[in-house]
Amino acid sequence: MREKKGKSIAATLATATCSLLGNTVSEPVQAQEEPGWDFNTALLFYDEADDRVQDISLNFLAVRTFDDDRSLSLGLTIDTLTGPTPTGAIPFDSAQTFTRASGLSTYTTAAEQIPLDDTFLDDRFAISASWQQPLGRLFTINAGLTGSSEYDYTHIGANVSLSRDFNKRNTTASIGLAIAQDDMDTEGGAPIPLSEMLEVGNLTNKMGDQSKDVFDVVLGVTQVINRNFLVKLNYSFSDSSGYLNDPYKFLSVVDPLTGDPVAVLPGPGPGPSHLNRYENRPDSRTKHSLYGQAKYYMNGKVLDASYRFMTDDWGIDSHTVDLHYRWPIGDTSYLEPHFRFYTQSEADFYRVSLLDDGLPLPSYASADYRLGEFDAITVGLKYGWTLASGNEMSARLEFYSQDGDAPRNQLIGNQLSRDPYPDLEAIIAQFSFRFGH
Amino acid sequence: MGSPCELLTDTDDKSSAEQLLDIVSAEAWRVEDKFSRYLPGNITAQINTSNGATVEVDDETGDLLDFAETLHQLSDGLFDITSGILGKLWHFDGSDKIPDGDDVKSVLKHVGWTRLDWSRPRLTLFPGMQIDLGGLGKEYAVDRAGNLVAAQTEAGCLVNYGGDLVATGRPKDAAGWRVGIEEPDDRSALAGQVIRLVRGGLATSGDARRFLKKGGIRYGHILNPTTGWPIEGSPRSVTVAADTCTQAGMLATLAMLKGAAAEDFLDQQEVRHWCLR
Repeated sequence: MREKKGKSIAATLATATCSLLGNTVSEPVQAQEEPGWDFNTALLFYDEADDRVQDISLNFLAVRTFDDDRSLSLGLTIDTLTGPTPTGAIPFDSAQTFTRASGLSTYTTAAEQIPLDDTFLDDRFAISASWQQPLGRLFTINAGLTGSSEYDYTHIGANVSLSRDFNKRNTTASIGLAIAQDDMDTEGGAPIPLSEMLEVGNLTNKMGDQSKDVFDVVLGVTQVINRNFLVKLNYSFSDSSGYLNDPYKFLSVVDPLTGDPVAVLPGPGPGPSHLNRYENRPDSRTKHSLYGQAKYYMNGKVLDASYRFMTDDWGIDSHTVDLHYRWPIGDTSYLEPHFRFYTQSEADFYRVSLLDDGLPLPSYASADYRLGEFDAITVGLKYGWTLASGNEMSARLEFYSQDGDAPRNQLIGNQLSRDPYPDLEAIIAQFSFRFGH
Repeated sequence: MGSPCELLTDTDDKSSAEQLLDIVSAEAWRVEDKFSRYLPGNITAQINTSNGATVEVDDETGDLLDFAETLHQLSDGLFDITSGILGKLWHFDGSDKIPDGDDVKSVLKHVGWTRLDWSRPRLTLFPGMQIDLGGLGKEYAVDRAGNLVAAQTEAGCLVNYGGDLVATGRPKDAAGWRVGIEEPDDRSALAGQVIRLVRGGLATSGDARRFLKKGGIRYGHILNPTTGWPIEGSPRSVTVAADTCTQAGMLATLAMLKGAAAEDFLDQQEVRHWCLR
């Protein structure tokens, strides 16, 4: 065994130990990391104020570790979403009636209220599977598949990432690739972009099923600065192409002087009371983001701070600051306050409304509040504790507040006195339980 | 041994279990009585109070001294059984009491395997020098106990002296002995890793609670016998699996002595290891 220079210390030690203990034959060690399952379950409750969206989500993640640092992860998420969501149409001083996305019935929004589509009800199932294993001494590879299914939407995706340790394992560099295809099977068909909302039963403004492709690349470096301090830097690129509209979102068409929705002449059957057009977004979107994270450990306390900058070719720039501070209480529990601030600029084609001025329509337009300019704050507190069995539990309560403004220069006439931007407040409660076997 | 000692076995026969326990505890006490540097009148005391006189030692002591000499060579002088007297200056109690540099220098004059004369069976120390077999005695005692139980029974046993252990086979109805690596800052918490040990030794070096801190620098309790100062950059704990507890323990100690290069060293030796930083 001496010919192998790198191992010579262990080999010499083995010989010396044999003569010390008088063992003629020493049987080889049989020790391995205990393979086993690690389960992580979480129940999440998301509730928007003003009786808007509610989501109850059950998450289940099982990780099986094998010998030699190989592992299999399997995830399952079940969501039940209920409640109405803003359509993009502006509030008005009389009631407004809209045709549902299905084209089969109508709903009415009271005067002065932000129009919400109350048909939003869905169950979503998502599954994921990934395999991780070392490649040689310094590389680790991870490959996975994702899929989800809901009433009108199907997603499948694949991802692979490779990381390499450098510098005595103090530096890890990684590259990750992901591709996904999403298919939309909107009831009645996706609306033709910028087409008018039609009366019940008239489906001439509907197209067939739509799909989009998403391609992501993430380049990352993690650096251990010292035993208390770790930093991480990521660049990510994301390219989506295909049908990127939300088939449930539309815009009010308004009088260019008063800013009020234009009424339509009532037909023989039920139909919309005012003129609306379905939104249209560009058929591609390219995002770049930079993400930096620092984790600092101080005698059991952990400060985790991160910042993300994202910019895309739709004109949206966003900044996210996220802070977690883990504060141990005794040996077996901790409190973790959380603060997050998010701000974004609006998309170039964000419109409060479309004008009924006889001029050609813009190529792209959307009144989706998620594409507008807004700030959002999340504050929360998590309490976690370890049971005598070693299993871990945690409870988290967070408050989310999103506050946006429609661009002043887009508001016309009476719109100035009605806030068309739907602010949002939500409460998030999560209970999680982690156990091993 | 300075720690709880236990023997685990899986048998329905109470009297044979008791017999095993008697054999193991007798051997543990024998090793302790013979080599502990805290007891008067044993061979260690005889050597440490020899005041420059030559001491002729028995075979077992000679084997341990030979082994210590090998380790001194393998570690380029960092593993040194004469370095124990440095411990009189360093009290790793979490305080900021760093010893005076001159005091360290004067104690260092009495430290160093190369300063003693070992020609088996005769050992001669300079006056003021002492040996301490504590750095390898516990692992040695664990392997001795393991050999004794293996000769006595086919049943799988686990000998555990304060976290240094050896297994002679699996328990009857399990795939192996489940051994958790503890979080060095908090002995009540597992660091997450559970090791299934069927046969062989497992030893851990490192005690994160034993340190000094001054001027923002943290001094771990592993001393460099050539400088008299703590080794810098060692992991908080190193656990190694090897054919015997002695090999595992020595590899863990050698890794600690490598400081920041501990993981590289263990990777190079191609031994299974778990380092916590």
